[in-house]
Amino acid sequence: MAAPSKRRLPLLLGYKKSKAVRRGGDERVVLNLTSMIDMFTILLVFLLKSYSAEGALVTVSESLALPHSHSEQKVQMRLDVSVNNSIIVVDGDPVIMVNENLFSTGNSIPVLTQRLKDHLEYTSRLKGILDEKDRTVNIQGDVAIPAILLQRVMASCSEAGYTIQNLAVIQIESNER
Amino acid sequence: MAFAASGRSRKVRHHQTIDLLPVMNLFCCIIPFLLLSASFLQITTISMSQTEGISQGAGAMANLARSEEDRLQPKIIITSQEMFLGTTAGTIHICYSIRQQENGETVLTYDFDSLRVKTEEVYKILTETYPQIDFRKVTILTEPRIQYNIIVNVIDICAMIGFDQPGLQVAPPEAFLGAFTGGGS
Repeated sequence: MAAPSKRRLPLLLGYKKSKAVRRGGDERVVLNLTSMIDMFTILLVFLLKSYSAEGALVTVSESLALPHSHSEQKVQMRLDVSVNNSIIVVDGDPVIMVNENLFSTGNSIPVLTQRLKDHLEYTSRLKGILDEKDRTVNIQGDVAIPAILLQRVMASCSEAGYTIQNLAVIQIESNER
Repeated sequence: MAFAASGRSRKVRHHQTIDLLPVMNLFCCIIPFLLLSASFLQITTISMSQTEGISQGAGAMANLARSEEDRLQPKIIITSQEMFLGTTAGTIHICYSIRQQENGETVLTYDFDSLRVKTEEVYKILTETYPQIDFRKVTILTEPRIQYNIIVNVIDICAMIGFDQPGLQVAPPEAFLGAFTGGGS
């Protein structure tokens, strides 16, 4: 079958001009973009406000629900210790499963302390001298963990040499609560 | 010869319009970029003071008295029944715990407004009585099973008042018996 000639193709666009266009002659029809520009300006201001040039310094695990706080202290990229009711993870590596024994009285968790010590030693070999930043740890705790577990994790960090401990939280605006 | 008055001006009006298409093009480039790099969840941190470990017995609050500030620093005591504010003058009852259902589970919560009011009072008294000391330390003393979000709420309220150097201490329930009989108001 032969391809249809150009003459047989219906010219759809602008074929049937409306009466108004015919009366107006060669007047150009322009789309009024003002309202769209207004909307885009509002959107732009909102997005610029929430723009972060630093990007995400902390990756929060899906299995964690961080608590909310009014704290405004910016998060720094440090060693991450994630704690929930099933596992303790250091820098992405699972270290110990959480069980009832961990909720019993006692201070540091030996396995966790050893893992943190190893990490600090590795950093020390890599950098030579350890400064304050190297001795800082970000603890990402799930909202449902008991105080004893948090305390034991913090005690493990202290024992391993991580003297500065920061709790990661989700910031809330002042008028939200 | 004058024209007949028709009521219409014969002056041709030219409407000056700004071409908004380049602005639209710019917006169409900027908005997807900003949408991709926007972070709607802002993560911040709370700096904790060195943990004091688990204290056994009623002497849980006494081992912090290293300096004058340490000696005078208030302690927020959280038990599964009540919340207290411990000072050198004694222990103040703040509120009783409230049990509420959340997603089919019973969770503990407290009256954090009362905590704010009472901590503010204590802060005011301390700063007026000891103007030479910058009171920033506070200890959160809890039972082992108190949930993390309650601790963060308490830390948050203390930080808003001025106690922005929190420390955490966990003690067994028996240790709090001494705190209840501390007296004072």
